[in-house]
Amino acid sequence: MTSTTAVLSQTQVTRSPATAVRQTVALAKRSTLELFRQPAIVLPSMIFPLFFAFLGNSSFGRTTSLPGFPKVSSYLQFQLAGTITQGVLFGSVTGAAALATDIENGFFDRLLAAPTSRTGILFGRLAGSVLFGALETAVFIFALLPFGADVSAGIRGIMAMIVSGALISLAVGALMSSVALKTGSSEAVQGTFPLLFILLFFSSAFFPRETMTGVYKTIAGLNPISHLVEGLRALSLEGFTASATARAILVPLAIAIVALFIANRQLRSRLKSH
Amino acid sequence: MNTATHTSTHTMISEKDLHTTTMRSAGELIKRSLINTRRLPSAFFPTLAMPIFNMVSFSGTFFALTKLPNFPTDRSVNWFMPLGLAMGSAFSGVGLGFSLIRDLENGFYDRLRMSPTSRVSLIVGPVLATWIRVTLVSVVVFIAGFLLGARPTAGLLSYVCSLAAALGISTIGAGWGLGLGYRFQDMRGAAIMQLSIFLTMFMSTAQVPLNVMTGWLHTVARLNPITNIFRLSRSGWVNQTDPGYMSWSNAYGGLLAIGVLSVLSLIFALQSLKNIDN
Repeated sequence: MTSTTAVLSQTQVTRSPATAVRQTVALAKRSTLELFRQPAIVLPSMIFPLFFAFLGNSSFGRTTSLPGFPKVSSYLQFQLAGTITQGVLFGSVTGAAALATDIENGFFDRLLAAPTSRTGILFGRLAGSVLFGALETAVFIFALLPFGADVSAGIRGIMAMIVSGALISLAVGALMSSVALKTGSSEAVQGTFPLLFILLFFSSAFFPRETMTGVYKTIAGLNPISHLVEGLRALSLEGFTASATARAILVPLAIAIVALFIANRQLRSRLKSH
Repeated sequence: MNTATHTSTHTMISEKDLHTTTMRSAGELIKRSLINTRRLPSAFFPTLAMPIFNMVSFSGTFFALTKLPNFPTDRSVNWFMPLGLAMGSAFSGVGLGFSLIRDLENGFYDRLRMSPTSRVSLIVGPVLATWIRVTLVSVVVFIAGFLLGARPTAGLLSYVCSLAAALGISTIGAGWGLGLGYRFQDMRGAAIMQLSIFLTMFMSTAQVPLNVMTGWLHTVARLNPITNIFRLSRSGWVNQTDPGYMSWSNAYGGLLAIGVLSVLSLIFALQSLKNIDN
């Protein structure tokens, strides 16, 4: 009798959208607090991109006059989009690794044993990554702005860039969460880091595609990271135009939708195996 | 008199024995390290892949750098191959620190310390094993570089200088990695090892020559001794008309930096090891 009541309650709870949203918000709060309470884990994803931005500015400052280089006020202005993407990519790996850690240490199983919304487990975790991605984007913009990383699109452009940063974080976070759900291993998630690093270096994150030649240019053109970076860069260099805003928002949104679909499938697959 | 002679002879034999033990122990540690490389290729793979990836990606992405006025070479792979080699060597050296931490955590190192082994062999053995690995990596990188279009401008000496720089950087990295490993004895040390090596390498002429740099980096890179090591490594890969082309004046700074930094880092490792024993 008690057991039947419990099962019925669980069914009722998971079917109520309001409860599912409340549970997702609680899990999102948990994942956000977790990120902010462990600065040693998240700080590298902020410090390293900033270091590379300043290093790049001093190293490649003279290259802005090269043929094919877009018209910029400084290399830092060009680099801003690359810095945001780099930071958000690395931050998203941290978020997904935390989901894998939940699986490893049994917290995921306890959530499954409780009447918790299943998709809330995934979306709650991703919400933390999205908030962190937005925060990182804002930090990078305001940290580099005084040194010459102008945003031509102004304050509206900055807002659009923050939204774009959050969407990139959602897209990459969802892809990395798929790895976490598939493997259940934080080591495996961290193991994807070199792959992201390779994708980043074979993109237009640090140098424009127009200055590349041959196979490198082709690879950078096919690399989705190039398109994520160039959307953001358009806001930074071209101003607040419909085309720039659409590129900055729609490209990561499209990738995020596909990534969420994959992550949701992985979640269902893991739930079936339980 | 007889007793004195006997004691002296006895001491001499002991020292000789000790020397033999040091070399034998170091030899066994080299053997262990190489067997580990063969049995666990996945652990060695990143050391091999990193310099190749570095060389390929940098020379492709930053190809346009060679169009800058007074850039030392018109082949981007000539410029970035020594960077890949240096990064691979540095992390190969620092990787010793990671292995040490693993050995400390699983108790293997305690067994080594309890054995009648010379303490010097615990450092010399792994460093020599790193040299062997770095030489192997260098050969592979030279072949990959050649296939990508790298061409030496000073013949065989080009390879010799790059190899000397790679071995030097690996020794510095090894001393630093072992020293930090002995001090921290857990993975906290690993983060410092990676970060410090990474920052030191990149705040030099790793990416661009001094005449291309601007601002703070130019000042830092000019003072950073790693810049001298890069000059040595690249001296046989830049144009013959470039001021950085192969000459004694371009080589001695790098050799001196390697010598001084290697000695300092190895002393740091030895002192840190002694701290554990005490």
